[in-house]
Amino acid sequence: MTRPLRTLAITWLALSMVALGATWLSDYALELGIRLALLLTLAEAWNLLAGYGGMMSLGTASFVGVGAYTLVVVMNELGLPLSAAIPIAGLAAAVLAQLVSPALFRMRGLYFTVGTLALAEALRLFMVNYAALGGASGLFLSVDPPEPRQLFLLALLVLAGTHGLMTAATDSRFSIWLRALRDDEDAAAQVGVRPFRVKLLAFVAASFTMGTAGALQGLKLGAVEPYGMLGVHWTIEVISVVIIGGQGLRLGPFVGCVFVLTLSELLADYPALHLAITGAILIVVVRLAPQGLVGLLRRPARVSVAA
Amino acid sequence: MPSGEVIVSTLLSGLLLGGMHALIALGLTLALGVMGLVNLAHGEFLVAGAYVGLCLLQQLGIDPLLGLPFVGVVVALAAWPVQRVLLAPLAGKGGEAAMMTMFGLSIILQNLYVLAFSADTRTLDAPYAARPLQLGSISVAEIYVLGFVVSAVLVVLVHWLVAHSAFGRELRASASDPLAAAAMGVDVRRVQALTFALAAGCAAMGGVLIALTFSFTPTTGSTYLLISFAVVVLGGVGNILGTLAAGIVIGLLQSAGAIVLGDGYRDLVGLVLFLLVLALRPSGIGTQGRLVA
Repeated sequence: MTRPLRTLAITWLALSMVALGATWLSDYALELGIRLALLLTLAEAWNLLAGYGGMMSLGTASFVGVGAYTLVVVMNELGLPLSAAIPIAGLAAAVLAQLVSPALFRMRGLYFTVGTLALAEALRLFMVNYAALGGASGLFLSVDPPEPRQLFLLALLVLAGTHGLMTAATDSRFSIWLRALRDDEDAAAQVGVRPFRVKLLAFVAASFTMGTAGALQGLKLGAVEPYGMLGVHWTIEVISVVIIGGQGLRLGPFVGCVFVLTLSELLADYPALHLAITGAILIVVVRLAPQGLVGLLRRPARVSVAA
Repeated sequence: MPSGEVIVSTLLSGLLLGGMHALIALGLTLALGVMGLVNLAHGEFLVAGAYVGLCLLQQLGIDPLLGLPFVGVVVALAAWPVQRVLLAPLAGKGGEAAMMTMFGLSIILQNLYVLAFSADTRTLDAPYAARPLQLGSISVAEIYVLGFVVSAVLVVLVHWLVAHSAFGRELRASASDPLAAAAMGVDVRRVQALTFALAAGCAAMGGVLIALTFSFTPTTGSTYLLISFAVVVLGGVGNILGTLAAGIVIGLLQSAGAIVLGDGYRDLVGLVLFLLVLALRPSGIGTQGRLVA
């Protein structure tokens, strides 16, 4: 068994153990676990886009929001079970990614970033005004949201799937193409990497993942509305996690998630202060540790190998 | 459909509002043109201006329009160290690091505003803010006209500064080729810091006008950031008079959108237009070195 496969097997085993242990977890631990699993899912997806693919998206909220709205609509209108609704929510986000990609991929680098931000804001403004999907007040899920324990298990399942997808994407030839495009798109195209196709695949895979995470968030709240589900806080949280943890590194999202969630629990009573501190940490990390916390920890090891 | 007079009034206020958008977008286009900086904290400088204007009005009773130059100078002075401390050390690390730093700053500022002023919606009250101007059966609020005139004058002033002053010459040189400019004795770092301060000052003055015309909250900045990007892209990066024209065009189109689709869709029209323009100009929009004065 190759190393990535072994790591994947170990991670899945660990996730199953956590799932088995869920019976003994308190409601608070479950709530925290759900948040960690959802945030980690989003962060893994954003890390694929930005860390490996160099696509600094500020549009996370669009795909989270579309996933959440889709879940509520297909469950309310079509009466579909969760096992169908969650993948469909992911698909809807993937379709959105496919639809906007011709326009977004024409913008390179910083313009891609601004384009994704505009996309998220445009979607939010549309949902606020579009009465058929509830407008500013949003929609309620007509069935009761599942119990925390069941939701936690679902979140673990989605996380396990995401982890498998990300292992496939980051420990393969595909990852080399993607990183080549990140480092120099023109040079990579010269040696035969197809920029549009490779970037699109990464974008669609990341968006699918974000859509499923959004669906779980919608399920957890039992309701969706534009300010919460399409708000910029999703984008901020995910970016902080990946940049603080270490972008383009496999462990980055996990370390970042633990750090950001710990900070948010410590400062739970001071939301504004918490965000301001997050912003400050972001600036410091960009300046002093471009590879994040994981990069800092890895550096000594690398030096000793070179010596 | 609303009556003819209403349509003309709406379009006219859109046009006038477009002038204010141009003033706000001016700083963004300068930062992008001179230092290739995507300033994601631009909207927060706008809101900073609005809060300084509010303090002037509440504490000292100074009329916001009279206090406008003061607001511009205060925010420009506050922005100067931001460039020196946060951005200058990132030179040579690529645009991404600078952009993310400004993203971090925008989060910090938004939340500092919440801590200092609470999340309440604020307005700047002035006698001319709500007074309508009648022109036959067409009516627009007086502040729209004042805001447009002030904005247009400021944009033309900055255009003159960039096109004809000694500082403008250094600025254009730094934009087109920083290395060559430095070799010829231009202090590029100083020019970049001054440009950043000028950009923030313009945004702050635009913020006062916006606060007089509408209302504002700590997070108002992000909406105007995106409208400004639309203006910058349409007008051409670094093109100052193009910014004025693009601001007016976007203002008009937003009003047209509001008439046809309903008032809630006003901002959406600007964003969709922005995405279309970006998508239809495949060469992308030039980043550094396209400063057209």
